[in-house]
Amino acid sequence: MTWLFFQAVVSGLLLGGVYGLVASGLSLIFGVLRIINFAHGAIMMLGMYASYWLFVLVGLDPYLSILVTGPLFFALGMLIQRIVIEPNRAAAEHNQLLLTLGVALFFENLALVLWQGDFRTVRVWYSGASFLVADVLVEVPRLVAAGGAVLIALALWGFLRLTDAGKAIRALSEEPEGARLVGIDVARIRGVAFGIGSACVAVAGALVTPFFYVAPDVGESFNIMAFVVVVLGGMGNFLGALVGGFIVGLAESLGAAFLPGSLKQLVVFGLFVIVLLLRPEGLFGGRGGR
Amino acid sequence: MSSDQRDPVATPIGRRRFLTTMGAASAVALAAPARGRAQAREVKVGYILPVTGPLAFEAQLALNGLLLAVDEINGAGGIKSLGGAKITLLPGDTQNKVELGNSEAARLIDQGVTALIGPFSSLVAFSVRQVTEKNKTPFLLLATVADNVLEGGLHYCFRMQPNARAMATLTVGNMIEMAKSAGTPIKRVAIMHEDGNFGTTMGNHVEAFAGRMGYELVQRVPYNLRSPDFTAELSKVKAARPDLLLISGYYGDSKIIAETAAKLRIGVHALVGLANAAYSNPKFIAENRELTDQLFDGNYWHNPQSPRARAVFEAYQKRYSATMSNHGVQGYQVVFVLKDALERAASTDREKVREAIAKTNLADHILTQDAIRFDDAGENVNATPALLQVQGGKPVVVGPARFVEAKPVFPVPKWKG
Repeated sequence: MTWLFFQAVVSGLLLGGVYGLVASGLSLIFGVLRIINFAHGAIMMLGMYASYWLFVLVGLDPYLSILVTGPLFFALGMLIQRIVIEPNRAAAEHNQLLLTLGVALFFENLALVLWQGDFRTVRVWYSGASFLVADVLVEVPRLVAAGGAVLIALALWGFLRLTDAGKAIRALSEEPEGARLVGIDVARIRGVAFGIGSACVAVAGALVTPFFYVAPDVGESFNIMAFVVVVLGGMGNFLGALVGGFIVGLAESLGAAFLPGSLKQLVVFGLFVIVLLLRPEGLFGGRGGR
Repeated sequence: MSSDQRDPVATPIGRRRFLTTMGAASAVALAAPARGRAQAREVKVGYILPVTGPLAFEAQLALNGLLLAVDEINGAGGIKSLGGAKITLLPGDTQNKVELGNSEAARLIDQGVTALIGPFSSLVAFSVRQVTEKNKTPFLLLATVADNVLEGGLHYCFRMQPNARAMATLTVGNMIEMAKSAGTPIKRVAIMHEDGNFGTTMGNHVEAFAGRMGYELVQRVPYNLRSPDFTAELSKVKAARPDLLLISGYYGDSKIIAETAAKLRIGVHALVGLANAAYSNPKFIAENRELTDQLFDGNYWHNPQSPRARAVFEAYQKRYSATMSNHGVQGYQVVFVLKDALERAASTDREKVREAIAKTNLADHILTQDAIRFDDAGENVNATPALLQVQGGKPVVVGPARFVEAKPVFPVPKWKG
């Protein structure tokens, strides 16, 4: 039983890191644009296809593909924001929400047309690598994904704290009107935020490709959990999203190990409802870390 | 064209659907002049398959089988008892949607098909069966596995393939028998299954038969198909120390489960798929040679001992430059069940054809079972899944005993803890 507990904790933490990075991007976009981006999972899926094709066609390692997909999806995110979302800023919030849902459906069906429903896998030499620590299995690609996710999230947090662009993003998320009054180009910053959010999720996609599969609906595996994480960590709270990711990963994994049947989903969504009821601002909402 | 006005499909028409509809319409137009002349120059048979949408890939493989069989029959002189009438296949696309299944079935029946073949998804079958019953049209199920599709006293619905119950219990039975003769009996069984209708049904059968078949079900783990990690679930399975781990799932989940089980050193005698979408899938095996080696799967298959099956596989390879899949085999064989009935009925009358299908006793087939015969409910009483094991990058039949083409490797050393 103790072995099962530690195994569940380890695999929960490894998964949680990826949830955290996916949710960080979502949280950033929400913080600045005040929209819930339903296209987040679909953008992750496109990012995974980008890494897949770079691997298949050019032989580029999925981890190195981040150097290409990161900037590429930053640009794509800015483009989506500029073309689709910015013109509808004035529209009611639920309209903007439906808009991102439309973008998601568009991307998923585009992928279906372009690459069919086939499951594709990237097999790299370290795909199967794993080691045991006191009988507890640690899969190397999952460890790299979790570690990489944390590093990137922390780097972004530093970027938001220390750079002018980062400060502008934070200003916009905390006080939109004030940010505009002090001369911040809010439209551009909104684009930058959407771009960073999209790059985050594309990078998360690249990090999971070595141990996962790529298919047009693959984003759904992470998307819903990311919403739970964002609520848990506090909407718009960047570090909260990272911590929330670990909490959800752990809850899911321990739920799977110790509860019968499919109850692990119940644990995660139960947590979601409880947090919404008791702390609607999120576990870390209203405090630092933005 | 009048048939267009009667077309009950009122959905937006995509390019492919448009072509399909046009194809059907022109088939009707071509057939029209024949109507006045000698009775039955052709036999119209409709298929409804999800040839576009999420199941398009698998549906196309089944359709390839249908086309191969129809061309073989027509090339060999058609239906002899009908004066050499040729079979004309009329297409219908369900996109795996219930409402399209209904309307396409109604359209094809309206166009005068003698029988319908399809529709892959059990959910669509549930709905379409009401259309075929009402219109008294024989309906040959293809790749439809849910047990209760034939419940409710249906008269016109027949299923050639094993249903979920046969699939689950016969596969476990084959496994137990094989283990016994290998000198390593199976006492403790665990199952992981996806928590949708398909997996849950399989899980229920494995649980229900535990006492009767002499094994103990030590762990049953339903899981969400889209879960990105199964380490905790598999750790729970490992802690229960089963001899056998059964897995009923789809493609991506089954892949990750097998990978994680290997890394966890799951410690079972064998990993066995139950109608698994991946473990006997040639594409999955080709992409995961090391992982898939010596995986078992209970699935519908062809009889490797049958010379006819070999000829069919050659013909398929020649025509499609690919190995015939198990869906292709089902599609091919179901056409020959209909052909056999048409020969005996010597008529295209739906009622007479239904009578003939009900009396089917077809020994000349390419499946791993005895003669194809239907009971009152319309189930093939002898339907049997094959027990397959991946050996040398290819699934080979290792059970039931009379069909085996290779000796099973059991227990499988690589899964040992």
